[in-house]
Amino acid sequence: MLRFILRRLLQAIPTLLGVLTLTWFLFFGTASAESIARRNLSSKDPTPAQVQGWIKEHGYDQPPAVQLRKATVDMLMFKFGKSDATKEDIWTRIRQGAGPSIVVSSTIFIGTVFGAILVAVLAAAFRGTYIDKTTTIVCVLLMSVVYTVYVIGGQYFLSKQLRYGPIWGFDPASGLFKYILVPSAIGFAAGIATEIRLYRTFLLDEISQDYVRTARAKGVSETRILAQHVLKNALIPIITNTVAVIPGLILGGLLLENFFGIPGLGSYLFEALGSNDFSVVRAMVFLGTLLYIFGLIMTDIAYAIVDPRVRID
Amino acid sequence: MMLRIKGLNGLPLLATAIALTHIGCTNNPYPAGESKRNVHYLNFGEDPKSLDPTFSFTTVESNVLDVITPSYFRYHYLQQNPVRLVLNLGTKEPTRTRTANGGEVWTFTVRKDLRFSNDVCFPDSKGRAITAADFIYAWKRMADPKIGYPLTGVFEDNVIGWKEYAAAFSQDRKGMADPNYDKPFPGVTADPNDPYTFSIHLKRPYPQLRFIMAMHHTTPQAREAVEHYNDEYARHPVGCGAYKLTSYTPKQRLVLERNENASPDIYPTEGDPGDREAGLLADAGKQLPLTDTIVFDMVRESTSSWNLFLQGYLDETTLNANNFQQAMASNGMLSPKMQEMGIELRRAQQSAVYYILFNMKDPLWGGYTPEKRKLRQAVSLVLDSQEFIDLALQGNGTPAQWMLPAGLFGYDKDFKHPYRVVDIERAKKLIAEAGYPGGKDPKTGERLVIYIDCAAITAAARTQYGILKRQIERTGIKVEIRSTPGSIFRDKLIKGEHQCILYGWFADYPDPENFVFLLYGLNAGPGKPNYAWYQNPEYDKLFEKVRDMDDSPERLTLLNQMRDMAVEDSAWIPFYHPEVVTMSHSWVTNTKVHPIARDVLLYRKIDNNLRAQKQLEWNKPVWWPLFAFIGLSIASAIPAAIVVRRRVNRKLRAGGGAS
Repeated sequence: MLRFILRRLLQAIPTLLGVLTLTWFLFFGTASAESIARRNLSSKDPTPAQVQGWIKEHGYDQPPAVQLRKATVDMLMFKFGKSDATKEDIWTRIRQGAGPSIVVSSTIFIGTVFGAILVAVLAAAFRGTYIDKTTTIVCVLLMSVVYTVYVIGGQYFLSKQLRYGPIWGFDPASGLFKYILVPSAIGFAAGIATEIRLYRTFLLDEISQDYVRTARAKGVSETRILAQHVLKNALIPIITNTVAVIPGLILGGLLLENFFGIPGLGSYLFEALGSNDFSVVRAMVFLGTLLYIFGLIMTDIAYAIVDPRVRID
Repeated sequence: MMLRIKGLNGLPLLATAIALTHIGCTNNPYPAGESKRNVHYLNFGEDPKSLDPTFSFTTVESNVLDVITPSYFRYHYLQQNPVRLVLNLGTKEPTRTRTANGGEVWTFTVRKDLRFSNDVCFPDSKGRAITAADFIYAWKRMADPKIGYPLTGVFEDNVIGWKEYAAAFSQDRKGMADPNYDKPFPGVTADPNDPYTFSIHLKRPYPQLRFIMAMHHTTPQAREAVEHYNDEYARHPVGCGAYKLTSYTPKQRLVLERNENASPDIYPTEGDPGDREAGLLADAGKQLPLTDTIVFDMVRESTSSWNLFLQGYLDETTLNANNFQQAMASNGMLSPKMQEMGIELRRAQQSAVYYILFNMKDPLWGGYTPEKRKLRQAVSLVLDSQEFIDLALQGNGTPAQWMLPAGLFGYDKDFKHPYRVVDIERAKKLIAEAGYPGGKDPKTGERLVIYIDCAAITAAARTQYGILKRQIERTGIKVEIRSTPGSIFRDKLIKGEHQCILYGWFADYPDPENFVFLLYGLNAGPGKPNYAWYQNPEYDKLFEKVRDMDDSPERLTLLNQMRDMAVEDSAWIPFYHPEVVTMSHSWVTNTKVHPIARDVLLYRKIDNNLRAQKQLEWNKPVWWPLFAFIGLSIASAIPAAIVVRRRVNRKLRAGGGAS
């Protein structure tokens, strides 16, 4: 097990290096250091001396190879530095933003997983009946709607017309519940359909297995078959599917946070992209990659733990 | 067993519903009870980049900063016709003395009762008294290239010793402190006999210095604060204004509270005709500010901020293309629903101009020969400002005849630009005379093309460029809109790689010099504001005179001559003067808009009791859809439950039969 983890961690290094290099090229392929400097300097026309001063101060005057190497080494050492636009310490901001993002995205995550399992079990139990068909139709409808529409429409109906929660804002001191209610409901509605369809497939795979027939033949009740035998085995793919996204919950949602004014990491990245704040984008992409790789390793470990048939060495 | 399955479906929903009604679900985004206090709620569309008074420039930044860091002068809030400066931190009009070599010395005397707000950067956290030295320190910071004073170009050639003083700063240093601050700045000097007097030494007269002394860049600054906060100073300004910044979470919330150290200041007792009737003098003579706290919340999405305003959680908002349809009835008045809510709407022309500009370096559309002029004049003749304003700006603007907006010295309401009437036939004739009959190049037979560069990403902007294209194509010329990301667009502009753009200019101060300098030859160059790269030695000669003059009939004559030259060359096609439309709720008073001043929040008054009452009235949650949804979910589970029961029973029977 330990050897496996070590090997996976080593494999992560080239991936991280690749992502860092690619981000760097994508960023400076679309914008020159000078234009980034101008954006971050005053809105008035800065003098060439001011532009050069800014570029020098932020180290964008060095040869590309040196910049790239320095940026990569700094990232790997977790030295994120300061934001190009606001001069804020990026680590501090990431630590502040992680909380709100986790609160909202894990509420959505937990709600979606449990909600989806529940509905998927029902749909699987009544396979072929009107319940299954209705579930399928509703799911396909929900999946056909673009995420933006959920966010804007959800805000319009739940916050504006029905007034269940604030359109905007986040202040844990005056009660988390009211701020996360509407965003969570939107995230839930937008994400549950895909999960239901997926989990239903997992469940049906199990239902057609021989052991189910054996259990039925032995007279085990249908409810017990479903709850004890089928669900337990179907949980293996469900768990491995969900574990991969858990680390990413820290990053939150770009659009949802932006629309509801939740000061999480999603809106932090959104803002940085809008203002050409390369140092923040770089740090966030690095963090995202890291969490993703971590999620994948966790998946493999989870597999080994929940599925006795899988061995890792 | 079966009941449990059914229960699982209904119970969480029911529990949520009960929880919702019991918690007292509210859509009020603020901490409980806060809206009942004397707080003024506003929003930012984007975060201020910096609140360092020396660096900051945008309107968003000024709205915050100008109530924290006042200056020697300010604009009279109510008397706006014309706008005029009044003393603020100064005690008397500056004296101006001509020097032997054609320069000028301005001497300023400041109030003796000024103190900085209390801040941890001072001993015992008590704000100290302000002297002329703090004003001089601010000027030293303006010269410091590391900070990036936006109007450096205006002063570096005019203030004595500026360039030398600026060069002595270390650009690579960490933090703000620099030994150069201990050295005297020959351009801005203290009076050895009076700690409340200082002088600015200029190489040539610069009447606009009065306006500069009303901008937050020249506010007195505390060296302790700058060196204490360093980079953080940009988020922690310390001043002597009516408000002080008490908390600032970037991209989230900024709170200003009344500054207990502020010097006495009263609401103006005189206004323009009509102000008394409009109730704007009801608070005349009262101590400023009239509101205890100002909260700026950062709401990026305009849909979100508009809805917050309609719910009564923002006191004011500006109207944009997205919410215009909702707010206005077809007769151009506020919609009946908004009127019923007591919302008030104001339009105010901004001290600004939008214009179409040609790059004079362009081989096809630039140049100074009669043929080239005719081409540009022809485009001018087909551009219909009024149609553009009606279609793209919902009527919020005035067609422009020349750069200068109304209210500025040199604005002539009777002036009619000879090429700013819509005359398509004449335009076609001019194009033919320029050698392109029918808008086609006779050599190749191809249609002439204008490339209009833009950074248009919003739907509203796309509409605008669509209208421009359609209007110009009436001449037979083809228009290509080249839309690029903002940073690339600016790059092109700076390097002069554009051909034609629609651009705007907003006055820094109400003087014609701040507009006509946009065509000054020495302002053409990489990153300089003459984006037309217009070069006319005669224009430049007149500009240099106008720049150094005080308002006089002679100055007006010169301005008109400059205008006539530029009109013939048509490097610029003046398009429209924009209007800003703002809305406020019935509980906000003293909402007069000022075309230049940004410290107007000092005068705002909030009736917080009325607000609390309206907020409650407008925001009662609607519960029936939630209960209907829950009811429906449970009802849909009932047939399922029946199926389960049937199945279970059947199984039992079948099992019994087998054994």
